[in-house]
Amino acid sequence: MQATRALLARSVWKGPNIVPLPIVKRKPGEPIVPIRTQARSATILPNFVGLKFEVHNGKIYHEITITEEMVGHKLGEFSPTRKRFTYKQSKNR
Amino acid sequence: MPFIYTASFTETTLVKKALESFYGIGKDVSIRILARHYIHPLAKVGALPSQKLLDLTAELTGMKIENDKRRELRDNIQRLRDMGTYRGRRHVMGLPVRGQNTRSQINTARRLNMVQRKG
Repeated sequence: MQATRALLARSVWKGPNIVPLPIVKRKPGEPIVPIRTQARSATILPNFVGLKFEVHNGKIYHEITITEEMVGHKLGEFSPTRKRFTYKQSKNR
Repeated sequence: MPFIYTASFTETTLVKKALESFYGIGKDVSIRILARHYIHPLAKVGALPSQKLLDLTAELTGMKIENDKRRELRDNIQRLRDMGTYRGRRHVMGLPVRGQNTRSQINTARRLNMVQRKG
């Protein structure tokens, strides 16, 4: 019997998907500037906690604040890409 | 009627099946429990001495099964929901979570995927 890994998707030897993001050390007193990115597949690392990201969903940038429990997830999980279907009545038929 | 953990079984029930009747115990875990207590995989509940039954009950009491396990499952879904992930949102909508097509055949997701998941 083989012990199951917590994440079955990715090989261990690759490590987390680390994407070079423009993270700047913020001086105290400066306002938090969100980091605008399209790297939805970037893994959230422990040093992201407390930062603000603007994650692209293909159309707009969703703003998310990273909390401690989000570590290990991907940025794209927090930026929904699909719109709910709503029926729009057409005027000219 | 032999009594294990919270339920009583008929004497002809296999011990393995009796263990698997509890939520959170499957084939692998039940085989391990049997091996740990020196019970044959095809042994029946009626053939066990009462001390063995007590030992099994004690073993199951220390494990995370039944309602504890269900609560863990619900907590995991609730955590996804509170974080605002795509997976949590799909659970709330009762739709497939892992990118399956939804044109047809999503009965399992309709039955199971909800925040207060039952089983």
